[in-house]
Amino acid sequence: MVFKNYRFTLFVCMLLCMICMHCEPWVEEFEETEDAILFTASQRLAPPSSVSTMTVMDWNIRFGAGRIPWFGDSCGDRVILTEEEVLSNLQLIADKINEIQPDIILLNEVDIESKRSAYIDEMQWLLDHTHFNYGAYASVWHVQFIPSDGLGRMNMGNAILSRWPITEAIRIPLPPRGDQDELTKYFYLRRNILKVKIDLPNVSDFYVVGVHTSAFSRDETRKKHIDLFKAELDALDEAGAWFVAGGDLNTVPPGAERRYFCVENLCPGEDPDEKEGCDFTKEETWLQGLYDTYQSALPLDEYLANEEMYFTNTPDWGGYWQKKLDYLFTNNQWVADSDSTHQEAVECSDHAPISVQWEVPQ
Amino acid sequence: MKKYPFLTVCILLVAAISPTGRSVAKTAQWSAGTAFPVQRGRFEFGLFQPATYGLSESLELSTHLLPNIFMPNMGIKWSHGSTGPYHWATRHSIYYPTRLLNLVAKEGIGGLISPEFTMPDMIAVHNELLVTRVWDPRFMTTAKLGITLALGSGDLDPRSTIDLPLIFPRLSVFYHTYSIRTGLNIQGRVFFRWHYQLNSDIFLIPEAEEDFAFDQTAFLLWRKNARFQSGFGCKLTYAEYPFGTQWHLIPMLDTQWAFQIIK
Repeated sequence: MVFKNYRFTLFVCMLLCMICMHCEPWVEEFEETEDAILFTASQRLAPPSSVSTMTVMDWNIRFGAGRIPWFGDSCGDRVILTEEEVLSNLQLIADKINEIQPDIILLNEVDIESKRSAYIDEMQWLLDHTHFNYGAYASVWHVQFIPSDGLGRMNMGNAILSRWPITEAIRIPLPPRGDQDELTKYFYLRRNILKVKIDLPNVSDFYVVGVHTSAFSRDETRKKHIDLFKAELDALDEAGAWFVAGGDLNTVPPGAERRYFCVENLCPGEDPDEKEGCDFTKEETWLQGLYDTYQSALPLDEYLANEEMYFTNTPDWGGYWQKKLDYLFTNNQWVADSDSTHQEAVECSDHAPISVQWEVPQ
Repeated sequence: MKKYPFLTVCILLVAAISPTGRSVAKTAQWSAGTAFPVQRGRFEFGLFQPATYGLSESLELSTHLLPNIFMPNMGIKWSHGSTGPYHWATRHSIYYPTRLLNLVAKEGIGGLISPEFTMPDMIAVHNELLVTRVWDPRFMTTAKLGITLALGSGDLDPRSTIDLPLIFPRLSVFYHTYSIRTGLNIQGRVFFRWHYQLNSDIFLIPEAEEDFAFDQTAFLLWRKNARFQSGFGCKLTYAEYPFGTQWHLIPMLDTQWAFQIIK
């Protein structure tokens, strides 16, 4: 009888249509391994058809915030950057990339749709302002609206850009921080490993693996991330694939002279015992497995001989580089003495880029 | 629809018109969404609906009670009588959101706006024309067309927007001086005590880059008597935001009570 009432039928139909409309989840939780998002440059340049060596670069670009004192990672009070600020910082980053001319770059902290970076699609922007043709992106922090500090919409992630086509791109989830309450955890970052297969001329199984491990956890979350990252590399190695891998591992190398930065990085009013991401004293051996098993772009003995020359990070805006957090590894060979830590790129980010030449297996 | 707002308005007005309508009382119970003010002396309030009070046979006063603490607001619905089967009214409202916005421009949880920004004093005045057509005792339609004007004591930083459904299009007027709002409300009885309501609102902000938003509400109500009704439904929203366009589906629940204060 009810459905003879056509107006009510209309109402029910409209209700069902509304429910069936596609709606995005409030927070993207990424519980399973899934495909990463692929990008293509607006104008593609022909990549080299044969290579004997290629340049690999790694950089945490701090979402195009340059050295602006952002509230979340320095003692600043800025939250929402202007479009001019972000574009100006991205231009500095693109200039550096164009100067180094890497063939492949691993990036951390790339925003594609975030209020804090004026909603600029930094993936597409970088592809369109550098020589790269293809990109893969895996969200680390994808929330429709973060109701805290005015952050609002957020989509930040790991990325890999390449001259050659990306034939496979997978986002592998990493476990969340174990030292946060459930509400904070719900709105917080979902770290991941970004694994892409690149169609490199004359090399059948070539992968690039990027990661950005937990920065502020005070439990063993970061160690779990590093171990899972290594396990992924071990699996590729056992399968006979070649890889270059790296990223911001958020810990200092084994044997590093200084492992505690909580006093000098303290913001006014902060308690050094509460400060996160500055005490690496218990992490002496966390990277040892990677150094023992694979070739580091910067050999450990070279690093330990002159640490300051290879520092890649500082949250101290007034000071110089403070510690090394960014790494590149391979299961093949790097060209001897080809690595560089580009500490001169001081205005671009709170991380310095690193680059190195990789010997392409023949 | 986006490109032809005038045509949209015409269609909505025509939808409410028919030569076969018949006259009904000029006031009503549970009058939300129609051109009818509530009966004189009757006070209706709900969890989310504004509280309304019938001042006279032709005037209804309304306000969102709880938000008043942080966002003073007041509205009046003024019935202008009937022309044939059409019942005419205008609704005029004013609100002052500055205090509420500055309250959420804060550090930490609850900070919907960055503490970098201080919102200046500003008010919005909304004026709307309502035309209701009762087709039969179980079915009525109301077309509405209004304009909102915003006045402020200073420039707003465009980065201070709250890019959330419902909120963004409603606050957009403060960044762009005026906005136009039009829509259609359809309501009727299903059977026994069950009633339905469909309400659509279109927001046009001609001066803005993000100049279009649309809400569609579908609500099923159980009306116990003249003093109590409760219902559930959902609101589908589509809007242009600074990051692009997006749909949202928001579940809704409401309960309303009413009292005859003056006989």
